Amino acid sequence: MTESYLLTLLVFSPLLGIILLCFMSPKHHSIKWIGTLSTLLPLLLTIIVFSLFERGIEGVQLQQSHTWFELMTSISPNEPYIISFELGVTGLSVLFLFLTALITFLASFTAHRMKDGLKGFFIIFLALELGILGVFSSENLFLFFLFFEITLVSTFLLLGRWGGFHKERAAFSFLIYNGIGSVLLLVVIITLFVELRTTNITELTLMLKDTDSLEYLSYDARMWLLVLLVVAFGTKLPIVPLHSWMVRVHVEAPIAVVMIHAGVLLKIGAYGLIRFGGGFFPEQLQDMAVVLAILGLINLLYGAFIAFVQTELRALLAYSSISHMGIVLLGLASFNSAGVQGAIFQTISHGLIAALLFLLIGVIVDRFGTTRLDELGGVASQTPLFAGFFLAAGLASLGLPGMSGFISEFLAFLGVFKAMPVIGAIGVIGIILTAVYILRAVLAVTFGERRPSFDRKADLTATELVSSSVLLIMIIWIGVYPAILTSTLGTIGIGG
Amino acid sequence: MGYVWLIPVLPLLSFLIILFTRPVIYKKAGIVGTLFSGAAFVGSLIVLFSHFQEGNYLVEANWLSIDAITLTVGFEVNPLNALMLVIVTLVSFLVHMYSIGYMEDDERIATFFAYLGLFTFSMTALVMSPNLLQIYFFWELVGVCSFLLVGFYFYKPEAKAAAKKAFIVTRIGDVGLLVAIFLLYWQAGTLELDGIFSAAESGAITPTMITIIAILIFVGAVGKSGQFPLHTWLPDAMEGPTPVSALIHAATMVAAGVYLVAVMFPLFLASEAAMTTVAITGGVTAIFAATIALVQNDIKRILAYSTISQLGYMMLALGTAGYTAAVFHLTTHAFFKALLFLAAGSVIHAAHEQNILKLGGLGKKLKGTALLFLLGSLALSGFPLFSGFFSKDEILASAFSDERYILFGLALFTAFLTSFYMFRLYFLVFAGEGKGGAKESPRTMLIPMAVLAVLAVFSGFIQTHWFGTFLGDWLETTPYPVIFSSVEAPLWIPILASALSIGGIALAWLMYVKQSVPHNWLYGSIKEVHQVLDRKYYIDEIYQGVFVKGLFVFSYFWSYFDRFIVEGTAAAMRGVVTQLGKTGVKVQSGQVQTYGAVAFSGLVIVLLVIAALGGYFQ
Amino acid sequence: MSSIPLSAYLVTALLLFCMGLYGALTKRNAVIVLISIELMLNAVNINLVAFAKYGVGASIRGQVFSLFTITVAAAEAAVGLAILIALYRNRGTVNVDEMNTLKK
Repeated sequence: MTESYLLTLLVFSPLLGIILLCFMSPKHHSIKWIGTLSTLLPLLLTIIVFSLFERGIEGVQLQQSHTWFELMTSISPNEPYIISFELGVTGLSVLFLFLTALITFLASFTAHRMKDGLKGFFIIFLALELGILGVFSSENLFLFFLFFEITLVSTFLLLGRWGGFHKERAAFSFLIYNGIGSVLLLVVIITLFVELRTTNITELTLMLKDTDSLEYLSYDARMWLLVLLVVAFGTKLPIVPLHSWMVRVHVEAPIAVVMIHAGVLLKIGAYGLIRFGGGFFPEQLQDMAVVLAILGLINLLYGAFIAFVQTELRALLAYSSISHMGIVLLGLASFNSAGVQGAIFQTISHGLIAALLFLLIGVIVDRFGTTRLDELGGVASQTPLFAGFFLAAGLASLGLPGMSGFISEFLAFLGVFKAMPVIGAIGVIGIILTAVYILRAVLAVTFGERRPSFDRKADLTATELVSSSVLLIMIIWIGVYPAILTSTLGTIGIGG
Repeated sequence: MGYVWLIPVLPLLSFLIILFTRPVIYKKAGIVGTLFSGAAFVGSLIVLFSHFQEGNYLVEANWLSIDAITLTVGFEVNPLNALMLVIVTLVSFLVHMYSIGYMEDDERIATFFAYLGLFTFSMTALVMSPNLLQIYFFWELVGVCSFLLVGFYFYKPEAKAAAKKAFIVTRIGDVGLLVAIFLLYWQAGTLELDGIFSAAESGAITPTMITIIAILIFVGAVGKSGQFPLHTWLPDAMEGPTPVSALIHAATMVAAGVYLVAVMFPLFLASEAAMTTVAITGGVTAIFAATIALVQNDIKRILAYSTISQLGYMMLALGTAGYTAAVFHLTTHAFFKALLFLAAGSVIHAAHEQNILKLGGLGKKLKGTALLFLLGSLALSGFPLFSGFFSKDEILASAFSDERYILFGLALFTAFLTSFYMFRLYFLVFAGEGKGGAKESPRTMLIPMAVLAVLAVFSGFIQTHWFGTFLGDWLETTPYPVIFSSVEAPLWIPILASALSIGGIALAWLMYVKQSVPHNWLYGSIKEVHQVLDRKYYIDEIYQGVFVKGLFVFSYFWSYFDRFIVEGTAAAMRGVVTQLGKTGVKVQSGQVQTYGAVAFSGLVIVLLVIAALGGYFQ
Repeated sequence: MSSIPLSAYLVTALLLFCMGLYGALTKRNAVIVLISIELMLNAVNINLVAFAKYGVGASIRGQVFSLFTITVAAAEAAVGLAILIALYRNRGTVNVDEMNTLKK
């Protein structure tokens, strides 16, 4: 049964790189390559996991379970509370695992440009990857929380040490918002643990499914727990007005971290909402669907309007992410299979697109030294390849058919129009606005008169070209043949 | 017929090949593109002829299924599709050939041909789609190609603005179409055309819903076809290279709106209100754009407004149940308007000037171009026996028989204006004394124009009430429940239309050649009217002032809200915590003795409480 | 043999402890604070010895503990005085009010 240890191997595979790096001199020239190679290992392992994952089968696969420790309490001395080390993947998490490993691998290349503290950077960077991989393969809430905290701490360190001009402020802002989110999450986890005596996700889902009996928790208690979950994961997503930390992170963090942050970390919020919110409390979620939909609508429009007047490319994309996450909420709130699938599609699609956009912004920062829109312009003359990719990424982001963004938005709105046509009708304004602000940004960078100061700037390097192509090909692949995702996802527990 | 999917694949291949071998292929891109689009044209001809023999063809496959939701993809050949395929691939092929000469000096010629390939792919795939989702899919793709090609000269600020405008304004319309698709899916349970029509027929969709959906679909068509009030992008789109204007903004893509309404015609027929909306929008747009064209001075902009006006004609035909008339005019218009644009391109290529007031006397230097332009202008003006004459006649007859007399009158007047402004353009550019030198365009540019000229002259004979209504009869073999109202126009309509057309030409001749009528009479007599027309009814200014400014103000409001209220609240909460902490700091004096005293008093209090309560162990 | 009751020892110890505590918390001179701490420790010693003699489970253990305490107290006094001297050399004072480096 070597297979059953595969996930453990995968989750802890970044440790190899961490250990290797620990023993290296900080000045060593090959540190960056060791760092990149260490992210290749998880990628290969996720590909193995992906290929072993059997499609079309419901439930958790590649499971493994060991008792980790037992808690004796004075309340029930004979029945210890057991916490297990349980890993497993569903169709949803296997996609996220792959996304994580891929984006981390590509992001590690952008870190090569960094000047100082590469050793420390890669150690914490790999720790971050370990945390995210753990989050998506945990089958146990305690384990989930543990890995969740690892991502939090490592992001905090990466941001605070290697960030931009206002890095400390951004780092503390990140820590405080997300720390509060984690506390709420912990409250939910402990409540469930005390009441149901297990933290296994599948068991919890099954136990709570029997909503008629309300044996364990009353309807109101469940509602409160759901609200806590929505706030906890909503901070991560983020839901307006809990978003200001996220804008700062986008603006301040090093590009490699932003790629992971926008590409995967934010998706933990959506993942948590779908897996736990929808899995544990489907009835309550349905009852607060209108609230969720309105929140989604606010996100969608609020982000779009503010993105329209941003003058800084990173801040603009941060608000664009907020807007796109609104579609996730809308799809989820529609509570039918089209909408929920649309929401999931959107998380994955946005992960790829945001990663691509920030990869290219890394190029902008490197070549042109600024991300202010008024200082950029006309780069299509000097760097046509870059301009082409940037334009393609922008078009993907505004939901052009043939790219992944379209099918996600289509499905999400299809769902919304069934459940709440009025909200859907208001929401489509967001589609127009997205086109407005994305084109404004993309054209401000690439189109316009040639600027002589950019004349000697290099176009995409081979690495950058390959990285962007990989992401773009995946975006187009999903856009043209979305069945590739549905076959892996299988049936999602919520909606009907 | 089984190989019909090859038609879009060929230009797609052309796009991919040119895109990936850009630096190597460079100027040979034109030849590659022309060959592939030529092959696609041959394929379309084969499809057309096999449709004559084999009839309609439809193949579908599953694209995506989620629980009960199934979305399909497929290809369909019915009379309308086959006709559109031929028009699109023919014009595309000719424009490819023409561009070899026209774009010769441009260093990004390979990119240009790549975009043309992508456009041809999207457009052919669009007209072969058997379901609305697929139509929307390629509908957006052609929009993007239009955007890319309008912004081809990306370093020009006007081109940048025009490209952005083209995309955003059409997207406003697209969202209407998208909403219609969502509504239709939940109403009809499918997005396939036959499913939609049978649901509409069986009464599964309420009449109100049909009206709403039809009007939303029409909003999409309005955006794409540059109908009032979403027409503003089309004249600006003339910033693109002229062959693009001929292909995309005259013959094919802008006609997609008309095509869409024609495809969804059974749905429109089911709603009287929707039909009226289409007819009025079309009729108003036709005269509205024609009046603007009267006073414009840019050769391409005049043609652009003329395109808008003619598309309005087609919409008017559809709105008055003239399905055949609209498709007929779409066909002839594609030929003569593409011809006119290409000829205009030839003029621009030769004289490097677009302002007609600065041009003149080119008739002697560019004999071929002048002749071809004349043929195109005659066709557009509806000069008797030219193609435009027959198709306009159909539309007028359709409007008349549908008893929409006001719109009929407007259409007649538009016909007069059309021939006037076209010949104003023609005489100003080609007649009179020469200003500056010009050299006739190469043969690769003249041959495509000649082909189009032949079609512009003779394509009218596919549908006349004298020789036979071939087109109408053939279109009736459509698999969808379209009601054909074959009307024979009273004889006085074509005679009156001819008279108006010739009258317009004569007036232009008197003004600009003979100069017996002062050509600035409008400017001289009613300055305000001239001003309003010259500024295009101030529509751009109104949009700029209301929507763009409004969006800015609104966005800035929320941006400041975000910065001060949302972040301010967070800062305030942080302040409260900091203040609490500061209060706590004061207690921390650093004096161990104070700490000790406090700790001791605390202990005493605890012990006293325990004693008072009777002890811990009770 | 002896008629002195346990309570007398305890009261003595209590008085001693309170005096020590008062001194430790209020005196400004660090030497006096140290001496006061010694007083408190000795109060504890008295209690230990008294309970060792009269307590519920009377045994030698209490006396052993008091010996430990005396040793620890001696060591503490030595270390404390050493710190005091070092502090005096640095600051020129043994006033505890000025020893607030914990705060800064």
